Amino acid sequence: MKLFKKKVKIQYKVENVAKAIDRLKSDVGDSRVYNNIEERICYAFDATKQSSLPDVIVKPETTEHVAAAVKIANEFEIPIYARGAGTGLTGGCVPLKGGMVIDIMKMNKIIEISPHDLTAIVEPCVITKHLQNEVAKHHLFYPPDPSSADSSTIGGNVAECAGGITGVKYGVTRNYILSLEVVLADGTIMKCGRRTLKSVTGYDLTRLFVGSEGTLGIFTKIGVRLIPMPKKVLSVQAQFTNVDDALATGDDVINNNILPRTLEMMDEISIKSVRDYGGLNIPEEVKAILIIDVDGQETAVLEELDTIEELCRKNNAVHLIRANTTEEREKVWSVRRAISPALYKIAPLKINEDICVPRSKIKDILDKVKKSLEGTSIFMAAFGHIGDGNIHLNYMHHENEVELVHKLVTEIFKEVVALGGTISGEHGIGTTKQEFMRTELTAEELTVMRSLKNLFDPKGILNPGKMFPVDDDEEWYNMNTDNKKNGLV
Amino acid sequence: MSLNWEEEIAKCSMCGKCHSVCPVYLETGEESMVTRGRISLAIALRDHQITMTEALKDSVFSCKKCLRCCKICPTGVNFEVIIQHLLYSVAEEMGIPLLPKLVFRWVLPRRWLFNLMLKCASIGQRIMPAKKRGPMRHLPMMLLGDRWVPALSKGSALKQFGGVHKVANPKMRVAFFTGCLINYVYTDIAEAVIDVLNRLDIEVVVPKKQLCCSLPALSLGDRKAATTIMFKNQDAMKEEKVDAIVAACGSCTKSLKHDYMHVLEDSWQEMSDKVYDISEFIEKFTEYKTEPSEEKLTYHDPCHLFWALDIHDQPRDQLKRSGNYVELEGASNCCGGGGVFTLLHYDLTVKIMNKKIDDIEKSGADIVASNCPGCVMQISDGIAGRDLNVKAMHTIQVLRKSLIDGSKRQLKEEVEMAS
Repeated sequence: MKLFKKKVKIQYKVENVAKAIDRLKSDVGDSRVYNNIEERICYAFDATKQSSLPDVIVKPETTEHVAAAVKIANEFEIPIYARGAGTGLTGGCVPLKGGMVIDIMKMNKIIEISPHDLTAIVEPCVITKHLQNEVAKHHLFYPPDPSSADSSTIGGNVAECAGGITGVKYGVTRNYILSLEVVLADGTIMKCGRRTLKSVTGYDLTRLFVGSEGTLGIFTKIGVRLIPMPKKVLSVQAQFTNVDDALATGDDVINNNILPRTLEMMDEISIKSVRDYGGLNIPEEVKAILIIDVDGQETAVLEELDTIEELCRKNNAVHLIRANTTEEREKVWSVRRAISPALYKIAPLKINEDICVPRSKIKDILDKVKKSLEGTSIFMAAFGHIGDGNIHLNYMHHENEVELVHKLVTEIFKEVVALGGTISGEHGIGTTKQEFMRTELTAEELTVMRSLKNLFDPKGILNPGKMFPVDDDEEWYNMNTDNKKNGLV
Repeated sequence: MSLNWEEEIAKCSMCGKCHSVCPVYLETGEESMVTRGRISLAIALRDHQITMTEALKDSVFSCKKCLRCCKICPTGVNFEVIIQHLLYSVAEEMGIPLLPKLVFRWVLPRRWLFNLMLKCASIGQRIMPAKKRGPMRHLPMMLLGDRWVPALSKGSALKQFGGVHKVANPKMRVAFFTGCLINYVYTDIAEAVIDVLNRLDIEVVVPKKQLCCSLPALSLGDRKAATTIMFKNQDAMKEEKVDAIVAACGSCTKSLKHDYMHVLEDSWQEMSDKVYDISEFIEKFTEYKTEPSEEKLTYHDPCHLFWALDIHDQPRDQLKRSGNYVELEGASNCCGGGGVFTLLHYDLTVKIMNKKIDDIEKSGADIVASNCPGCVMQISDGIAGRDLNVKAMHTIQVLRKSLIDGSKRQLKEEVEMAS
């Protein structure tokens, strides 16, 4: 009987914080521990604008510092939140239950790049773009390229399994993580994975940690896989009078044995917003835009681009803009970059959902989204990586429309799952999508995930209140406290 | 254009894009030292979650006001407005330190007193046993801590060049706003500006009544002093009937174009439209011929010109016509200079500067030009510290050397004919 179910608010022993701070100051160092209100405010939020004050911030510089801090948190049962640049889109690093934020930004060195092995070992808070630039000096390439690459960290990318525009050809972060050094919930330091591309010795723990959103451990070193840098990148922007033509072109490109580096589409609303507010001149009849990048050896790329242009024309593209130089590429891509600023001029609040459906179902989901919006005042711009089915639905709204957007999103998530898709392609779950976990996951999956969480984090101190549905968390908490009372743990 | 800082705060989506460009954050990695962190503190202050404290003051003063964040912000937050509000709040609630306050309120608005003060400093600089490092001195401004300061000029630019510099058939009449660094230290830049403009048939007025642009007062939040100075400058400029106001300092140009609008509002609009950076003015209104030298030239972008006013091609075009131009890697990266910031955070200044000097060394240039005496000073300091064989100069000085005006060319032809 649900009625009589015991409702206990999850509480952590915040009264222990004062004791913990003293210990942190002596074990990790005075200058690395902060609990003044200004610092606490600065580490209370992420890019979701959710905010919750932590009690203390630790700024470690070495793995040992992290391990010492985690040990203390474990002893005093204080929640821990690992934080990189704080650019996550799902609340992953927000200190929801108070406690200790471990700001790893000082661990930002590239330890080694091995061109011969095609690997690099980095500390977690290397900025993704910085790593890309450094390996490029060795003619190497780290492909995952989230749009926040110039401000987000590798550690954050691993924790959320970030994707990006190159997903169709190169995959996502998980395809490039070979090994990890992780501080576990009790403060022990564990290494997993190898510096070889292949390794099947035992379970793939590395992969388990990728996308774990800080709920299983804290990364202190990351081994990444690199590939040779493609010699040439060329782009073409194709403008169509309807979305169907654009989608058909995308399919045709792949059916013609070409795997483009990116395959981006912008819908009518995105284009309209850029035209009206972004200051870019796009002809009135254009209702869909494709931006296609191809990379590889120069002759091959030129040939591929010719074929792609031919296919665009076959599918009634009205304008084609080809980019040969870096400046021209900038220009071709500027329309895509103009969307975000333009959207904020329409409404102040944005819900950016990163649904992903099988490629064959893109048209279905776009139709369903369009239908769900009929008769509402919501302005929704869809654009994204149609190469891998990852569409970004940007619901622009005002304060009084929050509930309506929530309702629309809930419906769309059901449709997405019914089509065999996922509610989050690359942003993660965090706090923004935990209530939808059961929409996608089966009870069995969730149970196994909970067991894993229990194994790694029996006290529930690692990033509490994230990823798992809130009621599932409560159930676990009740069971845990009962067990404690009965002397089972 | 008033300071609606709350509107700007509301625009912030907390995405953290500002992390990628903030020169201070890139060195420190501290959230309290980047735009987004400062905005979260501004919100907390507005909502009375916190009061003005030393830590908050540190966060505010750690901003270089380079305006990179404004330029790249995806939601278009104008952080200049927010940081100015915070600076005013700090000044209102915690007061302005006595010495700068005296300088802003008593010295800056009175040119004779400012002259006197700098004269004393200049004499002091010559008689005191100062540590030397290229053109830089470590004394006598002991108040400035570790900061190296340049040798002060014997006579100020206004004393030497104040007044009208007529030409035979003037195409335009412009006022030259010198700014303090050019007036008291780099008088040769002033000379170059006047000479080049005259040779291009432009009549130049150097209004004797002009004062500091007021940026230092704004940077410490002294609204009262800044307003007084701005009004006096407005009068000084309005007196001279000119077609344009030209400045050779990136920060002065930005201040005259942006900050004056914030304070003087519509009454300054007409003047604001007339303000030009020297390179921008020359490219827009004049035609000139040059004889390029063999020297390898490169260019460093002053933050306020590049990020606030979008001026980057004009000085490069002039350099390309003056010598063997090479692009500097990371040309638009900050050199670390910049008024109040360098005094309070000299350690960070040096870290940021060192990267710039690395890049300059790599470029192999003989001359690194910039359109701001502040950057020239900072880069000279860095070069002197490493004993490099590079000269830091203002672009206009480079152009002055390569410019061939009518009379000079004629002279050359005559010589050729005679031979």
